[in-house]
Amino acid sequence: MAAGGTGGKTYSFKVVLLGEGCVGKTSLVLRYCENKFNDKHITTLQASFLTKKLNITGKRVNLAIWDTAGQERFHALGPIYYRDSNGAVLVYDITDEDSFQKVKNWVKELRKMLGNDICLCIVGNKIDLDKDRHVSVEDAESYAESVGAKHYHTSAKLNKGIEELFLDLCKRMMETAQAEERLKGNGASQSASSRRGVQIVDDEPQATPAGGCCSSG
Amino acid sequence: MMSQRRGIHLDQSELLCKKGCGFYGNTGWQGLCSKCWREENQREKQKQIQEDWALAERLQKEEEEAYASRNQKAQTQPTITPFGKFEERKTKEKSSKVNTVTKFFTPSSKTPPKKDSPFDAHSSQSPSSSTSRHSSVDSDHATREFIDFLKPLKSGREIFKQCRAFTESMVYKRDMAADELSECVQDFYQNLSDRLLTQFKGSSDHVEGVMDEVEKYMMTRLYKEVFCPETTDDEKKDLAIQKRIRALHWVTIEMLCVPVEEEIAEVSDSVVKAITDVIEMDSKRVPKEKLSCITRCSKHIFNAIKISKKEAASADDFLPTLIYIVLKANPPRLQSNIQYITRFSNPSRLMTGEDGYYFTNLCCAVAFIEKLDGQSLNLSSEEFELYMSGQASPNWPQSSGASSGSPGSAAVTQVHKGLDLLTGLGERQERVMEKARQLESDLIDWTDEVEQKVQSVLESFPPETQTPAAPTASGTTLSAASAIDSDNVENEHLPPPLQPQVFAG
Repeated sequence: MAAGGTGGKTYSFKVVLLGEGCVGKTSLVLRYCENKFNDKHITTLQASFLTKKLNITGKRVNLAIWDTAGQERFHALGPIYYRDSNGAVLVYDITDEDSFQKVKNWVKELRKMLGNDICLCIVGNKIDLDKDRHVSVEDAESYAESVGAKHYHTSAKLNKGIEELFLDLCKRMMETAQAEERLKGNGASQSASSRRGVQIVDDEPQATPAGGCCSSG
Repeated sequence: MMSQRRGIHLDQSELLCKKGCGFYGNTGWQGLCSKCWREENQREKQKQIQEDWALAERLQKEEEEAYASRNQKAQTQPTITPFGKFEERKTKEKSSKVNTVTKFFTPSSKTPPKKDSPFDAHSSQSPSSSTSRHSSVDSDHATREFIDFLKPLKSGREIFKQCRAFTESMVYKRDMAADELSECVQDFYQNLSDRLLTQFKGSSDHVEGVMDEVEKYMMTRLYKEVFCPETTDDEKKDLAIQKRIRALHWVTIEMLCVPVEEEIAEVSDSVVKAITDVIEMDSKRVPKEKLSCITRCSKHIFNAIKISKKEAASADDFLPTLIYIVLKANPPRLQSNIQYITRFSNPSRLMTGEDGYYFTNLCCAVAFIEKLDGQSLNLSSEEFELYMSGQASPNWPQSSGASSGSPGSAAVTQVHKGLDLLTGLGERQERVMEKARQLESDLIDWTDEVEQKVQSVLESFPPETQTPAAPTASGTTLSAASAIDSDNVENEHLPPPLQPQVFAG
């Protein structure tokens, strides 16, 4: 619905980061956007809203990454955050079984509320702590496949797998947006004409010719 | 004087037209006959029209001056030859634009004057009597700015026309449900930006710039009609949340796990600024300006968190702090403002922009405050009920031990200690004052006493016995005594004075 295709060739996507408190959502996004980890010299004031500009196969993409509060007491506020988002990154800690359980809950909720409009990524973070792993790779990957999500392994500390994660996600979101555009029917008339109560008063033929005669005269 | 006679006798001359044309006049026409009245009336109308024209002309002149100065600026800069032609074309374009804009202010001859002169329309169009002078000044100002902004655009005139027509049509839809109004406005935004996109050939930044101005112009003029409209229960919700926040006055920083240390001066400064900004939101008219208040508030919060935690703030830190700020600020008409922004802001801004993120967080904060219960503050439901009903407060030392260990209660005990100390000091001062007063009265008594004694001594020893300077040595005493005695005639009959004798041992 929040089709990013409005800018012709520029896509704007909204991606929400969901996951329990200490799974490393913030580290992940700081690593991606600022390439920093636990840095004492982080210049950004905040790590809750970050943007990234990408160029994928000649198309410009503006990515807006929304961090969410992971505490349990804020769980009920989820729908306010993920409304209108094109993608969701669901992060868990591979050393913490509980955090994977939370991800499953989020997936259920997102699919129920947004259907298949949203691209889901399930991310097992902290693979540098593989010796303490409590969530098995097979379990996680088979679960992701069963709900139509992609699974990734990342480490914000070692900067592993993060670029791939977001690049993949962007490509998938672009595909979804393009499919949506095709569905809507091609042409500029798409969104406007389908809505009711169009209010444009048009006593001169068209905007473009009017502009043309202005500049020539 | 006239009215007394009116019923009985009326002089014929009084009935005649005041212009003296010989026809009868009419009080409804200010004592003129129909013909003279029409002439007079026409003249007045003409005057009104001329005034309108003068105003429009003055405005136009101002604009042209602005153009001239801008042109001068442009001309002083590039003097390289290849640009010469381009410059010329640009100037030509601009002057043609002046013409276009002029048309906005020229009353068209077909339509009846006054009412439809577009300039007048800005202020008098809205039929609502509540439109105060101030707001119409505001919207005139917005109109002027909008026109200034649109002038350099190719289709500026077109855009202005559509926006004005739409704004005027909106005024008549006041009875519509707020959601429908919102849909109308959103449709208009959508249509206009789609058109602009084809026109600017996909330069979305440019379109956004224009849409910002469109929103500013339209919402400044429609604010009165569409902010907290009577058809909604926004006002009721405002009061509800206000009451709710007031009832939650006891919530502490620790209960919300806010990572902010207010003891640091810079942090508390940021907190105060954040509170000010979120309150200021209500005073703005344009959704975009309201949003930037929220953004500023958020930036201050991030600053406070960064100083306290010495790392970039994450959403885990930000949301609780924002909730705390909202609880402290209790911003006026919070729900109305949120609804207004949701309904009438440019949707792209709310969906992906930074402003949108902070706005979403504010919505979350409000939703959290509305649904807040003991569990979400790590309190038992009994405690929560007690605090809500005001029967207990976490700040009272006698309340259950839940808060005894927290640094907040330490601060409270410190305050109590300070208060005790103050009362102790007060008592001591009181005592000092009392003693001082007593001392004063003692002194007065003492002087009185001394005086009395002196008096009594004076009475018992009459002034005749007054002696000259007191003798210091025994030798002089002798001679002095003899000198006194020599003066005293009566004393001659007395026996010689006793000589001092030295006793041995």
